[in-house]
Amino acid sequence: MNTLPSALHSNLMALSPLILLAGSAVVVMLASAFYRHPRPVMMLTLAGLILSFASLFLFRGIGSRQVTALLVLDHYALFFIGLIVAATFVVAVLCYRYFGGSESRHEALYILLLLAALGGGVLVASSHFASFLLGLELLSISLFALIAYPRFTERPLEAGIKYLILAGFSSGLLLFGMALVYAQLGTMQFAKIGTMLTAPDQALELYGLAGLALIVTGVGFKLALVPFHMWTPDVYEGAPAPITAFIATVSKGAMLALLLRYFLMAGAHQSQPITLALSLVAVTTILVGNLLALLQDNIKRILAYSSIAQLGYLLVGFLAFDPLAIEAVAYFLTAYFVTMLGAFGVVTVLSGGFNNGSEGESHRVAERDSDRLADYAGLFWHRPWLAGVFTAMLLSLAGIPLTMGFIGKFYILTAGVEASLWIPVIVLVVGSTIGLFYYLRIIAVMCAPSSQAITEPTMRPVASPSLGESVTLAALALLLIWLGVFPAQLIDVLEGITVVDLT
Amino acid sequence: MEATFYLSAAVAVAATLMVVTRASAVHALLYLIVSLLAVAVVFFVLGAPFVAALEVIIYAGAVMVLFVFVIMMLNLGTSAAVKEREWLSPRMWAGPAVLSALLLAELIYILVWNVPGTATISGRAAVESKEVGITLFGPYLLGVELASLLLLAGLVGACHLGWHTESGWGSRSESLSDRRGHENG
Repeated sequence: MNTLPSALHSNLMALSPLILLAGSAVVVMLASAFYRHPRPVMMLTLAGLILSFASLFLFRGIGSRQVTALLVLDHYALFFIGLIVAATFVVAVLCYRYFGGSESRHEALYILLLLAALGGGVLVASSHFASFLLGLELLSISLFALIAYPRFTERPLEAGIKYLILAGFSSGLLLFGMALVYAQLGTMQFAKIGTMLTAPDQALELYGLAGLALIVTGVGFKLALVPFHMWTPDVYEGAPAPITAFIATVSKGAMLALLLRYFLMAGAHQSQPITLALSLVAVTTILVGNLLALLQDNIKRILAYSSIAQLGYLLVGFLAFDPLAIEAVAYFLTAYFVTMLGAFGVVTVLSGGFNNGSEGESHRVAERDSDRLADYAGLFWHRPWLAGVFTAMLLSLAGIPLTMGFIGKFYILTAGVEASLWIPVIVLVVGSTIGLFYYLRIIAVMCAPSSQAITEPTMRPVASPSLGESVTLAALALLLIWLGVFPAQLIDVLEGITVVDLT
Repeated sequence: MEATFYLSAAVAVAATLMVVTRASAVHALLYLIVSLLAVAVVFFVLGAPFVAALEVIIYAGAVMVLFVFVIMMLNLGTSAAVKEREWLSPRMWAGPAVLSALLLAELIYILVWNVPGTATISGRAAVESKEVGITLFGPYLLGVELASLLLLAGLVGACHLGWHTESGWGSRSESLSDRRGHENG
């Protein structure tokens, strides 16, 4: 360990995005203890996120650094931290009006959001089982409280408890898997596991293989891959819409980035049974996610199944395990982040939100978000811009050209074909075709000039988006189309990304 | 020496099985405490006395006693007294008592028949608390910091979810709904 002052200095600089996130969580907590007013607290949160994002660029010159055995801050980690911080920024903006604006006390939400983002950042930078677990727990403990945040309403609480139980269960599996790998190899560092396994006489024995399978299972729960996907629609439906966006993007993205790093650094992709199992999982995830989405008539549930299917597509690129795979996964994840944030952002804007918490005014408390398909009937006629943004997001999810979703899917297909993963690639194509049906169904409902559309909205008070929300949604839609038409700008950034082995 | 390991491991498994199958929460908790104590003995035999002590102090001590207190406080009232008298019947405490007696016997055996310091079955010297501290605050310093933030997240979440009444929120939301009513009407 180098303990020279200069080494310490640059370690601290390399860690600065994470330190700033943690520091702003503490500052926000102290601020909300003294000034119980959500507006300055939200401003502080946003400032912390911007600072953390800026520090990514300021200290990029330091290059890749292994900071203790726990974290490695290479370009791969920095890219994903940037993605997570940006997504958290969008979610924080979306939360403000949804949770009651300046009239309600929802300051604790921002502390939890910052801590969850920190958890995600630690996950993507971790190179050791200990930081892996700590990051994961930080993410899921904060998420559990965030899901159940409107605690006087039935569904968020139910969703929170479901998430808590499943998160605990999957963490248990994960820990047992780590213990088994440790029992065989005696190290918890990804890179050391990798070098040990490349030694000629070493291979994963039954112990280590079972451990790896358990780790993949635990991660599979978090990513909602198909045999482990049962919780996703319920939690997505029950959670407040901006928090759903957070689960769909930050939580899943961080886990996937971590899994990819683990597989590449620890050499898990050399184990034939595991890659075979993963490709089976990818195939079933795509098919089941798309087929079940056809049967839903709740927007949040459709998006939940759609996100399951999208993770299936990601796994196809993931299974290629080469530099192109990293690029493909990173691009697709970026597209997925933008799209999911945009889609759930529209749902948030249309929902009344949880403005107050007292039971006495239950007729004012939104029992549910605007998530039925009927709530969207004729949206094009009375909210054309919002409907336009939603359409763009749905088309991107379906992979229509001129959107990021198309380039992402193209990338994944290229990676898959180059690694000659024929069956997953064919299933990907079939799955995207099935997917078109339910995406187009939502768009068709929004276009329908039904007379029903006139009478329906009187039932629900129509929420009007705040300026921040409108600007954010517009920016997301512009980004979606800009990077879909000129993908080269993002691809140039992505080309520097490799999982560097520094130990 | 290996016999103690197997015996306490068996006690841990048996007690945990009882935790899962008991219908009464207090009864299950008693078995859970026994299970944690057995795991502590396993740690001790493996050569990690510091972790064993933490297991007893934190899990079997603080956390579990808190659980028992909470569960006992939840059913207050006259029926609770009858129920608590029921808990004192030998049928309820005999199982955990027997298992704990086994652990106590092991502990006495270890303390009396073994020289301290060599009491490990892994063949290595026992890991002292000083070494644990040096490792935690040396290479794993970031882990400690992250764990502290994890506790912060748990604290903030629990504080929010457990907040009893919010008078300020209620009055504010009234004015909010009034204003909204004007806007919509």
